[in-house]
Amino acid sequence: MTRAGWEVEAGDDGPVEDGKRALAYRADDGALALYNDYDRGRSILRTPKIPGTWSVRTAPAPGAHPLAAAAEVAGYGTFTFPYGPISAGVPEAGKFEVRTYGERVLGLVPVGGFKTRSVATSVLGLPVADAGLRVERMAGNLSASHVSAFLAAAESAEGRPVPTAELYVRALAQELQRLYNHVRQIARVAEAAAQNVGLAQVHALGEEILRLQGSVFGHRWMFGALLPGGPARRVDAADRDRLEHALGGIGAEFDVLWSLLLESRTFVDRLQSTAPLSKESAIASGAVGPTLRASGVGWDDRLRAPTPPYTDLFVSLPNETAGDALARILVRGAEIQASLVILEQLFDRWPTEESITEPAESPVGPGRGIARVEAPNGDLVYDVTVADGRVRRLQFRSPSAANWPAFAASMQDAVFTDFHFAFESFGLVFAETDG
Amino acid sequence: MFGWLGRSAARGILTTRYPDAPPTPSEAPVSAHAPEPRPAVPISPNAVAGCPVRAIAPDGVDQGRCIRCARCLAQGFEFSGPVALATAKRPDRPEGPGAILGGAAPLARLGRSIHVFLVDVGSCNACNLEVLSIAHPQYDASRLGIFFTNSPRHADVLLVVGVPTEAMVEPLRRAYDAIPAPKAVVATGACAIRGGVFEGTPGLRSGVDEIVPVDLYVPGCPPPPVAVLDALLRLIGRERTEAPT
Ligand code: SF4
Ligand code: SF4
Repeated sequence: MTRAGWEVEAGDDGPVEDGKRALAYRADDGALALYNDYDRGRSILRTPKIPGTWSVRTAPAPGAHPLAAAAEVAGYGTFTFPYGPISAGVPEAGKFEVRTYGERVLGLVPVGGFKTRSVATSVLGLPVADAGLRVERMAGNLSASHVSAFLAAAESAEGRPVPTAELYVRALAQELQRLYNHVRQIARVAEAAAQNVGLAQVHALGEEILRLQGSVFGHRWMFGALLPGGPARRVDAADRDRLEHALGGIGAEFDVLWSLLLESRTFVDRLQSTAPLSKESAIASGAVGPTLRASGVGWDDRLRAPTPPYTDLFVSLPNETAGDALARILVRGAEIQASLVILEQLFDRWPTEESITEPAESPVGPGRGIARVEAPNGDLVYDVTVADGRVRRLQFRSPSAANWPAFAASMQDAVFTDFHFAFESFGLVFAETDG
Repeated sequence: MFGWLGRSAARGILTTRYPDAPPTPSEAPVSAHAPEPRPAVPISPNAVAGCPVRAIAPDGVDQGRCIRCARCLAQGFEFSGPVALATAKRPDRPEGPGAILGGAAPLARLGRSIHVFLVDVGSCNACNLEVLSIAHPQYDASRLGIFFTNSPRHADVLLVVGVPTEAMVEPLRRAYDAIPAPKAVVATGACAIRGGVFEGTPGLRSGVDEIVPVDLYVPGCPPPPVAVLDALLRLIGRERTEAPT
């Protein structure tokens, strides 16, 4: 199977391609691994059947893998400090095992599996629309990306045509959610840096985006809005005018707050050279999204593996090279500005056919489909098999699953007080990793 | 610094007037309301069969199960009623469809100010973020004496989000035990009430009250920040008294 500029080689696991392995082992066998070869602009998807927990057991070290090293460090006075699953400052259930002899972090192992709702197995046998209700709840703050990737894979599996306007609605939802997530991530980092005034105003911007989503889609997190047979509410011309107007205000406000934040020495100094990730280690650990782009690798699915409507847009996306927490935040800030441009282009080119044809009642045909979406925190892949309109098999690789090893690598030799900056700068979500 | 202050002044007052005034449409979008059959429209078998979480029965809607998917809108339902707020009864069907709408008696059992400990036992993250947003300028929970704490030892309220996984049963019990009495537990969101869209998945508990006693349930998937505020205000006897519109 080939999809727009990237190769998908599906099948059981083959030999490890040294240094190119992005692994996400999961407790069920919904494991997907994506091998990204950035030199040749090529990705290979594999579906290894390796049991085990995704986080503790990561890649069996080609070379020195950061997690393997973390487990081995021993010596006088070193101990392992368990942090979680209910931990201060991490608003989700998850755990970290920190190997340390005091202040310095010798190694850190993220441990998941506390929030496993078995979404991928619980949807088996459900009609695509019902399965979508669970898939969007894989991670509520990333719902638009998850459900768009899931639907695209299911539609490609069945060979079902999708109206262009529907693709525009999905892109609209994804870009709005990217704005929300990046704004929130910036606020969280500001919070960790004790930027109290700025913090409140950036958070206020996040709430404005949620309200905008609520007023257009009827739901603050857009649940149910992108599904076949979803709410009757459609994005009409009046909605788009309202959106354009509101986004203009949000963009202007963000620009002011962003330049104020970057003028703040405490904010910038605290982030600079915190939790660094070199380009080599970003690639080797399989990092994706803003994390990868902050380390100097310009891979963004919207550019490198675009699907409509991104194929028709002019997208210019930012990169940074320093690889530290500041670079990851700079990438997010610039992506907010880029998303606002993308949204403008979407409104300018919005397809005129206002009537959206209802999906055909009878299933078109059974099959397997793969789709890839650039979620706010990185490259998201869904692999879905559909027969008789029902989901028969579902596997996915979430951006968080791909980024945990990079986070662990960046924390090596850090001090524990860096933890919150580092964690927030990666945009990791336990919910989508556990599934 | 002056830049920031100037910015605050330029933005003016963002904070909601809730609970002194009812929530505005922008604070409570469609999904903040409870679905109910349109007046004089009987609940059809199609509505019952079409609800993905079996929240609709011929005699009423189980608001605790409802995930606000809006599918029943095509089956004679509407979302036009009052905002769905917290209730002290698990909003299962025996109480009837109206039982949760502002009907619960105020508990007024904690002091004038409370500290809230948020525990996630298996959420999708949206509930966590909605709960945390009550601290943001538009809601500013601290003006009402509501604060978050990072330690159960300093907490009065255990606010639980998500569908309990086996792995979180013990941590949840321990968090509950660590909170000094008097304490209150708030189950927030369809998942915490009875499993939400994941109800019946092997390995998951059907609701937080299978593990710890619950004082208030907040329906919604996720409940909007005003509903979370309402629940916490009930605990200190400061909730909005007249039925919200
Ligand atoms: S909104 Fe959805 S979940 Fe709620 S009662 Fe209607 S159909 Fe059921
Ligand atoms: S109730 Fe809904 S929003 Fe809340 S955690 Fe469950 S699925 Fe997510």
